[in-house]
Amino acid sequence: MNIEAYISSGVIESYVLGMADAQEIAELEQLRLQYPAIQQAIDEFEESLEKTAFAAAVSPAPSVKNKLFFELENEFALPVKEKDKPSFAHNTPIVDIQSRINKTEEETIIETNFSTEQTKAVVKPLRYLKAVSVAAILLLIASASLNVYFYSKNNALDEQVTALLNDKNTLIASNKSMQVKYTDIYANLMVVSDTNVQKVVLKPVVGKEGSLATVYWNTFTKDVYVVADKLPKAPKGKQYQLWALVNGKPVDAGMIDGCNGVCKLKNTIQAQTFAITLEKTGGSESPDLTQLYVLGNVKSS
Amino acid sequence: MEASVKYTETELVYLLKQRQQSAFSYLYDNYSGALLSVIINIVSDTELANDVLQEVFVKIWRQIESYDNTKGRLFTWMMNVARNASIDTVRSKGFQNSQQNQELTETLYDKGGSTQLHTDKIGLRKVVHELKDEYKVLIELAYFEGYTQDEISKMLDIPLGTVKTRLRTALTQLRGVIKQ
Repeated sequence: MNIEAYISSGVIESYVLGMADAQEIAELEQLRLQYPAIQQAIDEFEESLEKTAFAAAVSPAPSVKNKLFFELENEFALPVKEKDKPSFAHNTPIVDIQSRINKTEEETIIETNFSTEQTKAVVKPLRYLKAVSVAAILLLIASASLNVYFYSKNNALDEQVTALLNDKNTLIASNKSMQVKYTDIYANLMVVSDTNVQKVVLKPVVGKEGSLATVYWNTFTKDVYVVADKLPKAPKGKQYQLWALVNGKPVDAGMIDGCNGVCKLKNTIQAQTFAITLEKTGGSESPDLTQLYVLGNVKSS
Repeated sequence: MEASVKYTETELVYLLKQRQQSAFSYLYDNYSGALLSVIINIVSDTELANDVLQEVFVKIWRQIESYDNTKGRLFTWMMNVARNASIDTVRSKGFQNSQQNQELTETLYDKGGSTQLHTDKIGLRKVVHELKDEYKVLIELAYFEGYTQDEISKMLDIPLGTVKTRLRTALTQLRGVIKQ
């Protein structure tokens, strides 16, 4: 293994700066134990990075430390003999760090994450702790049952909301379809209420009793509308056709199909009689008189 | 403050793992300035960088158990925590929408190297800017922006192999410059 080449390959910098991949890391962590030169190169680069950062140090805003300690307030180990006020600084100068650590062990009240040998430490306010624990457990139970209560209440409310939303959507949909119907009806009403419109009732011929249709003919605009809701349903391949009889001659006035209520058919300039026959789909040039259903005369004005 | 107290790294880490507030206070007083310079390298907005600093110290406090001194110095570990948090901030949606990001992107593609006026060119980033442009760009993208080599290869339209070797060369040069 060429150590020099490895050291100058850039992999060490990549590792220290946190840019190396898993394989490079594994390899380097192996090699640094074997070759002191590699270890030294790592140390040197780490030190120069640290120096560079310290040389460029920027003072943080003074508020950051306060906010930080406020945020972590409950995560610090209980201070030793510092009951009165929390202070971030030491109360007594510590010269020998080891003695401070020993002292800490003796006077420990509660410390988490301690090694097992430290758990032997004498804990004085046990009774007080017991009371606190009991209170804490009671609070926990109360809180848990409240959680269950609110959870089920919340679920019930959720269901209600969903049901209401469904109702709302259904109402909106039916409202829309009502609006469409209303618009149709209003338009139809406008058609038939025009003062220029003549109403011609077409009555059934013998054998077609029960059939009925009405023609609304605007003698000014020549528009023809038919309401043919009392004709039997046309069989497949057949459609009803409206005829205008002009001086005894039948003139095609349009097919009655696929319209809702009032059908607008072909404009008719002149007519003495209107009649409806059943014809093949698409209509015929002349009416099949054996299939005549209804007819009616226009009132002479 | 007890200015006279001075911990070695080993002592400091031991006390931090004991959850000692005084040790954490010491850590903050001694390292926050250097770490803020690392953060400002990536998050150029000073106010936002201070927020990231706070977040970084919370992470250091909560993750100190995962620090292993056989893998490197305490500062190196904290510097990596700071770098990751800063890159996360820059990549967060809120930051993307803000103007700072525009400035960063402009800086990135400014190959003229006449960007010394920016306040974020301190510390390591300043050193990086002494490198040749082709190396500088790679470290900018890989270290300060946190892109993978694959992403950089696509971004700059250079083969992945070239990105790898050039980045390695760039890092070796960085070591040379930083020692001076």
